[in-house]
Amino acid sequence: MSLVHFQILSAALFSIGLYGVLARRSAVLILLSIELMLNAVNINLIAFSAYTESLASTGQVIAIFVITVAAAEVGLALAIIINLFRSKGSVDIDKIDVMRW
Amino acid sequence: MGSTQESGTEGGVLTESLVVFLIISVVCVAGGLGVVFSRNVIHATFLLLVSLMGVAGIFLLLLAEFLALVQVLIYGGAITIVVLFVIMLTKSDEFESLVDNSQKPLAFLISIGLFVVMTVAAIAADNGNTVRASLKFSDLGHSLFTDWAIPFEVASLVLLVALIGAIVISKQGEEE
Amino acid sequence: MTNFWLFIPEFTITALAFGVIGADLFLARENKKYLPWISSIGLIVVLGIALNYLLGKQENLYGGLFLIDDFSMFFKVFFLILGLLVVLISSEYVKNHIKHPGEYYGILIFSILAMMLMAASGELLTAYISLELLSFCLYVLVASGRYGEKSTEAGVKYILLGAVASAFMLYGISQIYGLVGTTKFADMNLVLVAENSSALDLGLIMGIVFIIGGLAFKIAAVPFHMWAPDVYEGAPTPITAYLAVGSKAAAFALILRMMSSGFISIMEDWQMVIIVIAALTMTLGNLVALAQNNIKRLLAYSSIGHVGYLLMGVVAMTPLAFDGIMLHLVGYGVTNLACFMCIIMLYNSTGRDDVAGYAGLADRSPFLAMSMAVALFSLAGLPFFAGFTTKFYLFTAVANEGLIWLVGLAILNSLISLYYYLMVIKSMYIDPSEDTTVLVFSRYSLSVLGILVVFIFLVGVYPGPLVELIQEASQSLFSYIP
Repeated sequence: MSLVHFQILSAALFSIGLYGVLARRSAVLILLSIELMLNAVNINLIAFSAYTESLASTGQVIAIFVITVAAAEVGLALAIIINLFRSKGSVDIDKIDVMRW
Repeated sequence: MGSTQESGTEGGVLTESLVVFLIISVVCVAGGLGVVFSRNVIHATFLLLVSLMGVAGIFLLLLAEFLALVQVLIYGGAITIVVLFVIMLTKSDEFESLVDNSQKPLAFLISIGLFVVMTVAAIAADNGNTVRASLKFSDLGHSLFTDWAIPFEVASLVLLVALIGAIVISKQGEEE
Repeated sequence: MTNFWLFIPEFTITALAFGVIGADLFLARENKKYLPWISSIGLIVVLGIALNYLLGKQENLYGGLFLIDDFSMFFKVFFLILGLLVVLISSEYVKNHIKHPGEYYGILIFSILAMMLMAASGELLTAYISLELLSFCLYVLVASGRYGEKSTEAGVKYILLGAVASAFMLYGISQIYGLVGTTKFADMNLVLVAENSSALDLGLIMGIVFIIGGLAFKIAAVPFHMWAPDVYEGAPTPITAYLAVGSKAAAFALILRMMSSGFISIMEDWQMVIIVIAALTMTLGNLVALAQNNIKRLLAYSSIGHVGYLLMGVVAMTPLAFDGIMLHLVGYGVTNLACFMCIIMLYNSTGRDDVAGYAGLADRSPFLAMSMAVALFSLAGLPFFAGFTTKFYLFTAVANEGLIWLVGLAILNSLISLYYYLMVIKSMYIDPSEDTTVLVFSRYSLSVLGILVVFIFLVGVYPGPLVELIQEASQSLFSYIP
């Protein structure tokens, strides 16, 4: 088991999350997919910090900040989503359009 | 501490930690796939929880005990619950009609492409290091509150703004 | 021991934000009209404190996390003045359209703090968390509009896409951290120079590209611009102005600092990415703007076009080009605020923000039409207005570096942009209006607009002192490079 295993896992979770963001229509499900992406980042950070001794604390510190921001983001996003539901009666945000210009 | 014996499958031996790693990764990835493919939003949320608890396991394998603890507390104890509340507050049966959009094939291609690029990059950079190092709680705390004092303070403001924002935004809808 | 006096502008502005939010709790409803005055006087005090304590200081706090130099000082002053102007253009709009003025101004002030921190951070995590503070403030402000659906939908889109962008940026940061071994810009440069990385590995390039992608989202560069038109249209109009100027300027401050003191030694590896983004951004922004009939959407696309011009300066990567970027940010900022002030004034009295709503404006309010025309000409870059001087400086600096075709494309794009700005002006001056009542505005809004128009001419005709300040700022940035 070496660094590359963890990085491939991280890449897999990140790509799965991105698929969810692009393919889902419900704002709540998109939010869940974003959580997957952020966790992929954390795996990558912690893996780097574990396998490179000189780096140890920085990676974990960054990961703590990522978790903090992710939690705050969920709270704020859900507040806005609930507001959207109140005014529109739906949490459908059509799509996050990659082809739009 | 790990040792140089943990050479993984390349040496033809499956070490114990590699087996554990593989099991946990399968849980993580399966949970993740469940989140993006499940047709039921409640299932998706619980599958996210499974995946994130798997990530906590990965943190343990990487000897980051504190992060594993935080992961369980915040994702298991807070985020998933809040998401479930929101699903209950909105019409959860609505989700079945709007799970996916027409962009699916494109999204699939983009994600696969991204995965390939990221994997190639990871393999290319592989230095074969198999020794893991652990970090003491106290060192982590020390560096968080001394070296990283500014980001720490700013993070507190981020939380404050999120708090005020959530209140303002949800009150606004109420009064309409 | 860290000298905490060096943080005095940040401390005072945080106190101001708390003060404004606190004052809101105690002020009776009819006294809430004093909130913008408290905020603007507070911002002027902070500005005074910053100038008094920090002018000309050169310090490096927490081992390079936080930098105080002429560059960060320039942006501190710029953001404080910008914040002050946004408070001024907001005040009438907030009175009519926003439910929670205390929180509105408080969060606006927090966002100014975030931008100041971004310009001063010399390290990836500090930069990221400041960027996140800015984004959170903007998410709240965008979603705080009263007229329900549009604003909320804009808020949902903005926060979800913003979170994806920051996930990408974080992945990039983690790659840089793992492969370079540090997150401090200055140390990164040392490592990259020492490695003499002629064959740079894919992981590092991916990291840089992801970070650029995340920041490209914040400045709404193609292909990460798809949120901009919807969010600009849905957000409260003063916040649209603020988004178009503030968040872009802050992201550019970060990009300039990061690229020049972190990644300059591997310039060849990322330069092509930015060239492509710049060319696409300006062309697409200006072409799509032609088809818009809502004025806020039109300005959204025009601002995407301007981002393209600014990115050219990043490609050129010389002190002169950086001067051009900063100068253009100032010129564009003033012009854009004037433009949005006109939009707010018209919206407040007629409730229209489509281009057709501007028909016959010259007869209904000559001063408003004249100011709008000045602002649009300045955006297009006609001589005597701010836009011309700053664009000219920027384009010359880029052309000096041999990127003639890119500058040619930019000039072509400026001509295209002139067409759609002229369409608005034609509508104001030639098209007849169905409603011919004379519009009356408060003396307050007219004087704010007047000040902004004077600024446009001032920057356009007499940019000398501003250019000197900017040159000092960019010199301090390049002095970090060994």
